[in-house]
This record gives sequence, structure tokens and C-alpha cells, in this order.
Amino acid sequence: MIILENLTKILGGKAILNGLDLQIETGETLVLLGRSGTGKSVTLRHIVGLMTPDGGRVEVLGKEISGHSEEELKYVRSKVGYLFQDGALLNWLTVEENVALPLKEFGKTPTSEINDRVQEVLKEVELDFHADKFPSEISGGMRKRAGLARALISRPEIVLHDEPTSGLDPISSSIINRLVNRLKSSGITQVLVTHDMHSAFEVADRIALLHEGKIRSLGTVEEIRNSADEAVQQFLDGKIKGPLTQGAIDGVCDSEENGNEAT
Amino acid sequence: MTGWIQALGGFLGRSAETTGYGLVLLARTILSLPHLFSRRRLRDCLDLCFTYCLGSFTVTAVVALFTGMILALNGGDSLASLGQENLIGRIVAISMIREMGPFMTALILTASLGSGIAAEIGTMRVSEEIDALRIMSISPIRFLVLPRLVALTLITPVMTIFAGFIGILGASIVAANNFGVTWIAFSNDALENLSTGDVYIGLIKSVVFGITIATVGATQGLLTKGGATGVGEAARRAVVITFLLVIIQGYYLSWVYLS
Repeated sequence: MIILENLTKILGGKAILNGLDLQIETGETLVLLGRSGTGKSVTLRHIVGLMTPDGGRVEVLGKEISGHSEEELKYVRSKVGYLFQDGALLNWLTVEENVALPLKEFGKTPTSEINDRVQEVLKEVELDFHADKFPSEISGGMRKRAGLARALISRPEIVLHDEPTSGLDPISSSIINRLVNRLKSSGITQVLVTHDMHSAFEVADRIALLHEGKIRSLGTVEEIRNSADEAVQQFLDGKIKGPLTQGAIDGVCDSEENGNEAT
Repeated sequence: MTGWIQALGGFLGRSAETTGYGLVLLARTILSLPHLFSRRRLRDCLDLCFTYCLGSFTVTAVVALFTGMILALNGGDSLASLGQENLIGRIVAISMIREMGPFMTALILTASLGSGIAAEIGTMRVSEEIDALRIMSISPIRFLVLPRLVALTLITPVMTIFAGFIGILGASIVAANNFGVTWIAFSNDALENLSTGDVYIGLIKSVVFGITIATVGATQGLLTKGGATGVGEAARRAVVITFLLVIIQGYYLSWVYLS
């Protein structure tokens, strides 16, 4: 279980997270939606202790992790896999070496077992025929899948996905969605940050919409689809005007709608 | 006026912060030295030593050869007017071994390897590879900084000795061709006047410079912000800061040695 309680984060003088409360149940797949810059990735980074909150608390697998040192975070991190936007693979290692890295680095797992597990996860993400290629030799979708394989090699209980389908063609996106659904059926807790509505509806148990550093709306796929909240409907329909674009952006929108150049 | 003072204050604050970060990074890297003796780290370190030597070999040789030749040409010209051209050997040998060799090698390695380390680690920083390492509980200091620091600390003295040798060789060619000083006379004069202390101070300087190049490069890399522009800026800052530190450290080490 992941608990985020009254989470606050200030970056560049602006409150990116402003008292965010969220609870993610064990085995649940939760999708975080929201406009760019609303703190979705920042929320994910707090869950693995890559960022320290300015206020509030983060609890992962029953352990409070806010403000802990890298050493103290080792236990929680050993149970969490993280898929970065572009895979974050080390470019001087092959796909296979990248995937094996978390196990090889600590030298506790026998080489034969590492090899078996690498083959197993590479097969799972359909990259077993590209194991000896370098990250620069494979496509963006393949890099993401390799990143996912690396996240899975340690058999995590939680997997966090940061924009898993961004920049991918529909087929590559479907491959990723299928993988997420496979993980879901194996009982892994997952949090996905995405702008891809199709993907969100395909994989989510629940969807949360972030706005102004807080959860604006939270519900199952059906509840979100049928939500009466104007902000949710604006996001789903991609409307320019609405509660999510109040303030300065409204001014630009008005000018654009009037056919004037924004000055 | 207030804006100017604010800008100066901001610059000094950032500089102090970066210096503190660099010193802590160096201390933590030194504390993690025992981790070097794992097979993977040792292999990384040896690979880097080989790559670094290979990458800077040609440029060091060419620069050292011409530096020695320039020293011999200028020194020889002045000495010839006094009828003392047979002293070229000692002047070039002491300059190359004690001062020019370590300094010149440090500048070459800063430009080629220090900037490279900053750019490499900076790129990893902006593409979230450093964060990925942290999530896998792999310390970026042990995994990235330690092998680079050790490799540079080892290869800088090696390249300095090499540069000194090539520089003296270049000088001997000029001494023979332009001033009629035979190779035997040149090398006798050089060896008779070059003390063990000169060699030691040259090597000590090169070790200090090697540590500086790696630490500044890694610090700038790890502090990189933004995208490609941030990486370029990190590489530029690494070169500028290391140049300044090398020349200041060089002066004080010479001062300590001579006094």
C-alpha cells in the first residue's frame, strides 16, 4: 500500500504539490492524469524517495520514507520498480547488461540465475531477440520496454510508470498496455502517469486527476468517464476553456479564439 | 547598484555551494575507495585508464614535443647570445619535469577528459540515468565517480612523465639542429642538474591535478540542470574551473617546494 498524506512540494517558489492526499491499495493500478506541470512525475518521485517533501508524509509498504537517507531507502527501493520516460538505460551497456545491472551490481545472485531471470523478463517484454543491442540501436518503444524489464528484474511489489506510452505509435503503446495489464493480473501495485487517455482507460482500476497540486477527482474508469466534474470533462474532451485553464492561459485562449496574436 | 550587489552575492553563494558539494563529493569518493576492489569496479577503472590514455596520447605527444622545441628555441637563443647554449638541457629538463610537463598535461586532460566527464555524467543526470541508479540502490559515487577519479589520478602522472620525456626529446632535436649542442652534452647537462626533488614535485603536482580534474568534472556533471544546454554549460564550467584551480595549485605547490 502507498499512502501520500497532505504532501507538499515547493519548486522554484511555486507549490507543485499542495496538500495532496492519495492512497493506493495493494495490487491496484492507479493512473494519475493532469495537465503538464501539475506534479504527476513529482508525485511518483516522492514515492521512491527521489524527492523529499516540504510537508506531509509518504508511506510505502508500511514504512514512512519522507526525509530518509539513501541507505534507509534501500529496503523500499528494493521492492519498487520505476519505468522512466525514455527508459533511462545506460548507453554503454547492452540491453541485456542494463537489465542485469541491479542484480549483478550487488553480486548476491548467482550468474546462472541472473542469466535465466534476464532471459525471462526480456521474453516477457518481447525483447529477447534484441538483448545484445545497445540503447542507441533500438527504438524508443523498445527502450521503454527494456526499462520496464530492468524495473521487473528484481521482482518488485510496486511498479511506477512515468509516461509509459508517450511518443509511441499505437501498436507499441498497445504492447506496453498489455504488459501493464499482465503485471496487474499478477498482483503488482502500479502507478502510471500518462496523458494517453486510451491507455489510461485500458489499464486503470482507478484514475486520479491532479490539479493545482491536489487530487481534483478520483474514481474508477466508469466514474471518471461519467463524472459531472467540469474539470474532468474538460480534460477528457481536451477543451481549451474550463476550470483547468483558468487565469493567464484563459487570456491567451481568448486572444486565440478572437483571431488575435497573444502579446 | 543593488542589482549588481545581488548578482555578486548570488554568484558567491552559488560558488560556495558548488565548492562545498565538490569537497563533500571528493571526501565521499575517497571513503568509498574500498569498493574499488571488487572485480566489476576494478575492471571499469582499468577500462577507463586504457581509454583515457589512448584518447589523450596523440595530443599530449604533439603538444609536449612542440613545447619542448619552443622552450629550446627561446632558451637557446638567449643563452647563445651569452655563449652558454650548452645549458639548454638543464633549462628544458627542469621546466618540463617540474612545471611545464604537469601543467601542460593537466590542461590537455582537462580539455579532453574533464569536460568529457562533466558532459557524460551531465547527460546521465538530465536523462534520468542517475535517478535510475539511485532507485536500483546503486551509488552514483561508487559506480561513476570512483572509477573516473582513480583512473585520472593514475594516468595523469603517467601522461606527465610521457609528456616530459617527449618535450625533452623535442628540445634535444632543436638544441642539436639549431645550436649545435650534441645529444650527449644535452642529456648530461639535463641529468646532472635535474634533482630527485624536481621529479617528485612534478609527480605530486600531476596527482593533485588528476584528482582536481576528475572531481570538478564529476561535480559539474552531477549538478547539471536543464537539457542539452545544461550539459554544454557543465562541460564549459568544468574546463574553466579546473584551469583556474590547476594554475593556483601549481603556484602554491611550487612555492612550498622551493621554500
